[in-house]
Amino acid sequence: MSDPDATSSDGATVVDDPQAPSLVERLQQFREREATVIGLTAIGVALFPWIFARAPVISDLLLGYQNLAALMLIWAIFAIGFDLLLGYTGLLSFGHAAFWGGSAYVAGIVSLRVSSDPIVMVAAGTIFAVLFAWVLGYLSLRRGGIYFSILTLAFAQMLYYMSAAPLASLTGGENGLTGIDVSPLFGSFHLESELPMLAGELLGTWMYAFVGVITVAAVGIAYRILNSPYGMVFRAIRENEQRAKFVGLNVWRYKLMAFIVSAGFAGIAGSLFTIHGSYVPLQSLFWTESGEIVIMVVLGGTASLFGPILGAGLYLYIENIVSGIQQLQVPFTDIVLINDFGTYWHLLLGLIFVVVIWTAPRGLWGGLSDLRTAVESRLRGEDR
Amino acid sequence: MSTDTDSNTDIESTDVSNTRTSTTASDDVLLETRGLTKEFGGLVATDDVNIRVERGEQVSLIGPNGAGKSTLINLITRRLEPTDGDIQFKNSSIVGLDPHEVVQRGVSKSFQTASIFPDLSVRENAEIAGLAAENGAFDFKLLTHRDSLTDVHQRARDTLEAVGLLDSADETAADLPYGDKRRLEIGIALAAEPDLLLMDEPTAGMSPEETNATVELIEEVKQALDLTFVLVEHDMEIVFNISDRIIVLNRGRVIAEGAPEDIRGNPDVQEAYLGGADL
Repeated sequence: MSDPDATSSDGATVVDDPQAPSLVERLQQFREREATVIGLTAIGVALFPWIFARAPVISDLLLGYQNLAALMLIWAIFAIGFDLLLGYTGLLSFGHAAFWGGSAYVAGIVSLRVSSDPIVMVAAGTIFAVLFAWVLGYLSLRRGGIYFSILTLAFAQMLYYMSAAPLASLTGGENGLTGIDVSPLFGSFHLESELPMLAGELLGTWMYAFVGVITVAAVGIAYRILNSPYGMVFRAIRENEQRAKFVGLNVWRYKLMAFIVSAGFAGIAGSLFTIHGSYVPLQSLFWTESGEIVIMVVLGGTASLFGPILGAGLYLYIENIVSGIQQLQVPFTDIVLINDFGTYWHLLLGLIFVVVIWTAPRGLWGGLSDLRTAVESRLRGEDR
Repeated sequence: MSTDTDSNTDIESTDVSNTRTSTTASDDVLLETRGLTKEFGGLVATDDVNIRVERGEQVSLIGPNGAGKSTLINLITRRLEPTDGDIQFKNSSIVGLDPHEVVQRGVSKSFQTASIFPDLSVRENAEIAGLAAENGAFDFKLLTHRDSLTDVHQRARDTLEAVGLLDSADETAADLPYGDKRRLEIGIALAAEPDLLLMDEPTAGMSPEETNATVELIEEVKQALDLTFVLVEHDMEIVFNISDRIIVLNRGRVIAEGAPEDIRGNPDVQEAYLGGADL
């Protein structure tokens, strides 16, 4: 079985011969591939903050900083989960702000009233998101297509208005939830403090290490789900929902599971967002957050494991760094091209989005894989 | 069509069903509809349809366009809710069940078009059907790798072998030639090892060669799996060749029922179905 990112490219070239690898061998291959995926993710996550924020020349060019690196991973977790629903199952939710913001609030409220242990905060936020998704999914999945999208949007907006006024005593209303305290990890490691020695140089803070470990775990779990029977059923539902029903699958329950799993990822990410910022803005429940995650995933590439991570990173980069550029200059000169360049970041993002979708409908990651396949076949052709 | 013909055929159908009722033991009856009626607004699509399908039988459902054949199939597969009447499968009612529950009880359907999972590989197509058959309608194994599900793989392999697509197992289903897509479609329906297979025009849109191959496939599968078929088909040659019994529908009613040779010579059927031409 080829991995989900390369189904079409691998599938066309491999021809099943009588000496096809046995199931045991295939399972062995899978284990190795899984270890590779998780290993490479771990290496990437470990090197990223150094390259982004501290490496000579590169980090100066990128203008990256430590805090943003962690925030990118947090959104990446959200995006991975969202792609399970949008890219693999083919369901467009416009209400995932409810799980992102909802779990952020729950983590914050738990910290203020129960325990400020970061692990307890993440667990509480995630459990909330999963249970809440059960209810919202149950109500929204009654309808398909655009009606499902609108229902999720409506429920999420209801939560937004609930937090703004009726629940203001709990949520801080318009001001958001402030004064959130986060205890040291395992009672001894302050998240804001530097890691010792080489780890400190590479990863920076305990905060990043905490977020990074959860990110790698999230990638591992998502990879497992995509290669489990679920992953196959999810794609079957996306491909042909009616046929999936008529092979005897309870499509409705599988869709509900996809919804709950994706909300679980959003819950982990939302809780980390609170831990990371020590603050929950009311904005985190607003519908624009639901829109942002859709843009990130589509930009990066749906139905791939790493596309959404790429999309989340690029989006946050433009939002946080490009928006801060005062003047766009021709490199290594003083010639100013555009003044107040940063204020146009929404426009720039829109342009990038349009160009990417025009040239690579499967997003940046899909475009890159197509490019790789094309180059490979070109090379193979020249060898002959 | 004249009212004269209608009253004649009514008498005919009553006669036929009476003789059937008296001669069949109820243990052998796999599927039975009782007074099955479906109305769309004012239009009656099936009108008091009583049919019986016995285990091991190969029944064809024929009739002119709009006779209610597809409606009847859709009622049995629970895509449509009947206005009135009952459907018994293995002596229990399936009215009120979800479509996937009907499949889990042993009724599979092959569609009029090649209804497959286009972006997945041929093997994955068969595995999805195998998964539903082995693990039921829903399973909680979120983190089990699918290559560890030996039963599912074996079943998928057997299915692809049965429909002759094992050599194309790694191809993307969308890239198959049309005839192979239809074979895969039938394979998906067979993977569940159903007791009853409903086939809605399995040769629609096929070339003569593909049609022949499909008819052979149906014959093979019938012998290998001891399947019961209900076939909706327009190609009379196929119908007369592979059916044990033919049920003729017209305007939502059963107008005749019997062995191919009886139906071929039945003047009412000729009148209703082909406007008097020879079958």
